[in-house]
Amino acid sequence: MRNPLPPLRVEQALRLLPELEVLLPLRSLILAASRPEEQAQWASHGPYLTVGKRSVEPAELRQRAVEAAEQVKEHVGALYAAYVEALECQQRGEAGAAVNALREAGVREEQAGRGVQARAWYETALALAEGLQDRRPEIDVLLALGALEETLGGHGEAARRHQRALALAEAEFHQAGAIAACLGLGDVALATGQWTGAGAWFARGMRLAEAGGDLAATGQLHHRLAALARRGGELAPAGEHLRRARECLEPLGEARAMARVLNTQGQVDAGLGREAAAVAAYREALAWARRGERDAGLEAVIRLNLAELHFAAGRLLEGEEEARRAEQVAIAHGLTRRLVQSYLLMGRMRGRQRDDTGFVFFEQAIQLCQTLERSPALEAQVYQEYGLFCTALGGRDEARAYLERAREIFEALGETFEVEKVREELQQVSA
Amino acid sequence: MTRPASDASAGGSPAAAVGAPRVLVVVADTGVLHSIRQWTPELEARLEFVPDLPHAARQLSPGGWDAVVVALGDRPEDDLAWWVDAVRGVPGTPRLIALVDRPSMGLAIRAEQLGVPDLLPLPIRRDDLAQALKRARTVESEAPMPLPEVGAVPEGQYALVGRSAEMLEVYKLIARVAPSTATVLIQGESGTGKEVVARAIHEQGPKAGGPFVAVNCAAIPENLLESELFGHEKGAFTGAVTRKPGRFELARAGTLFLDEIADMSLALQSKILRAVQEREIERVGGTETLPVEVRLIAATNRDLKEAIAQNRLREDLYYRLAVVTIRLPRLADRGDDLLLLTAYFARQFAERYKKQILTISDHAVELLRGHPWVGNVRELRNVVERAVIVATGPTIRAEHLPDEVRAAEAELPEAGARGLLTLAEVEARHIARVLAHTNGQIGAAAEILGIHRNTLTRKMKEYGL
Repeated sequence: MRNPLPPLRVEQALRLLPELEVLLPLRSLILAASRPEEQAQWASHGPYLTVGKRSVEPAELRQRAVEAAEQVKEHVGALYAAYVEALECQQRGEAGAAVNALREAGVREEQAGRGVQARAWYETALALAEGLQDRRPEIDVLLALGALEETLGGHGEAARRHQRALALAEAEFHQAGAIAACLGLGDVALATGQWTGAGAWFARGMRLAEAGGDLAATGQLHHRLAALARRGGELAPAGEHLRRARECLEPLGEARAMARVLNTQGQVDAGLGREAAAVAAYREALAWARRGERDAGLEAVIRLNLAELHFAAGRLLEGEEEARRAEQVAIAHGLTRRLVQSYLLMGRMRGRQRDDTGFVFFEQAIQLCQTLERSPALEAQVYQEYGLFCTALGGRDEARAYLERAREIFEALGETFEVEKVREELQQVSA
Repeated sequence: MTRPASDASAGGSPAAAVGAPRVLVVVADTGVLHSIRQWTPELEARLEFVPDLPHAARQLSPGGWDAVVVALGDRPEDDLAWWVDAVRGVPGTPRLIALVDRPSMGLAIRAEQLGVPDLLPLPIRRDDLAQALKRARTVESEAPMPLPEVGAVPEGQYALVGRSAEMLEVYKLIARVAPSTATVLIQGESGTGKEVVARAIHEQGPKAGGPFVAVNCAAIPENLLESELFGHEKGAFTGAVTRKPGRFELARAGTLFLDEIADMSLALQSKILRAVQEREIERVGGTETLPVEVRLIAATNRDLKEAIAQNRLREDLYYRLAVVTIRLPRLADRGDDLLLLTAYFARQFAERYKKQILTISDHAVELLRGHPWVGNVRELRNVVERAVIVATGPTIRAEHLPDEVRAAEAELPEAGARGLLTLAEVEARHIARVLAHTNGQIGAAAEILGIHRNTLTRKMKEYGL
């Protein structure tokens, strides 16, 4: 029997992998299978470790590659089956069921992190649904498309889909659909900085939810209103909305929704300077996130918020530990976006400490955006933060170059709110 | 300590009212719950019960708990890690007692790695739980001792602290080598203070007026290290958005400290060799030759002779760098420096966190002395920082130390005979510890334990590891 090959660094392993779409799951697997080197915990480079410096065992990768290929096969098999199901439904004259089968395939793609592919399924489903007399399948697909577009950063398209869903839902007296559309439209407005618009949409959704006695939706809307109030700096009303959200959601045992509410509660408490209460809220949010089916993305977000709180309070050790836990969760579950966010936080903290080696986090984040996440909006955010890091360390030329790059990308995406922010930052650098 | 009001269902014997440990039991299984409730009078503890994680998180957050008893679920390793993390964030850091159905070897190893000595199998036995709870209340028997005076040391993060014979040798070498501009190679395990020594050499040397520039070669992505060291011209590669001077240039007339030197690619090693030999460099994408006017200090935690044998380090570079070699001792070999460093860090962090730490308990010292300190001074610094953060009075106590240091508590002798472990228990714990150290590799563990592999396998089966 041959001796196992020595481990190699992720950055070395990725160098051998061509940029092919079909190999993306393998790229994610390399990250997920990686481990920090045993020596690294206490080594001087330990605090600067990024996923590129972790190591992978070729033997383990061989074993896990087989499992990963099986999962890919299963995924593709499910998509094929969904297509055949849709086809058969259509031939049976059950077009509504055909739409649902296609939509389900889209949901599967989304769950696998393949947003663009999910969009193709939803669009096919939509084309079929538009010809039906029953408009409910169309409403469902429009809501799915709207939410997906929002996730992919296409705010305009997301708004358009949700608007159409709302119009149809109101015409069809589809209460749940109308509430979901209001939530979606409010989310788009919130993401694009249109506070008044967001408030109006959430209020409209709230009226419908309360009239229909939909406790879960009422709780969610109170949560959104809290998030909106927090963004506007109105922390007391935010706290009140959160209290009401908890009242609605806790008896229902809605674990994820409760985790989200408590996460926002932590942010509100942090904003009010109530550190201990914020820590307690984040801890309880983590406990809720752990109940039921695990939502690793949500867990990572809560941990990042907790880390930020520790850093802001000068508890660097605890902040670092929490940020590393978020990184760990993101790596283990292939959550590249969250991984990038954890590196942004670590880089930002190094910047505050005037630690120039912190640049490694931004470089790693850029690489992840370009090879795995492929999200221009996230990449622009990385350049923006990199620019601010360079500013903190006195590298004005570099700072300007990174901020310009961020501005270019945001402009191309039509993110006017972000473009404005970067412009202000550029002015400060040039001053 | 003021205890917060609790809405959890509570129980406890009249005898266990004041001074008895306050324990949160997080168990949903009615059978286990019934057993523990039944034993409450004999456990000499104030028990409070909650059914699930969110309730537990809410109960724990105000602090004031001595121990948390949790039943791990279907993913016990994952659950255990989660609980360790959750409990660590609770004020006072209560001791974690984990209950699990059929503990596997993997779980026992994970528990050791996480510093959880109390992993009890289900169905739970009353005596096992009583013993674990007993270990959670050692506070009263701890005697405070004054922290030793460290003497005059420079302020800040980079002070050399220590009076052991091993460190005196290091000081002598620094004094001898600092006045020259000779290249120095510092070798030592992670966390032994290589950068601190490099800074001391710089500050006592002829280039003290110049900058001290440190580069952590292992931290920087391979594809960027060359441009970090030598600089680059604008547009030399994607991402070279501006012209950037390298660390060799930034360290001009000062000292360039190359940390983790053995982590460089061979191609880059030859470029470093050229810079050291010819005393000149070129920026990436540039044509201009720049003089190298720096004192070079390199450091590594690896065995460089082995790296040369494995063809991972150029031999000629090694001899260029190792003109003078300083070897730093492990913390475990520095005797009473441990206490001195503890005092130094305790004062440093007390100042940072605006606390008054004057003493340390004998029990805490005992635990610190018993810890293996694989991360050396860096690990000690972290442990003391955490202790200062969680300490509520002027004394650092055992309860303020992290789980991985407190894991040795179970092996320390206790005052009452009831707390002593049987030989088999000690053996089982030690085997689990060694297995944790070898990441579950039985061959390597057998070698450390000095027993045959088959004997180890038999013992593991016997102890249910």
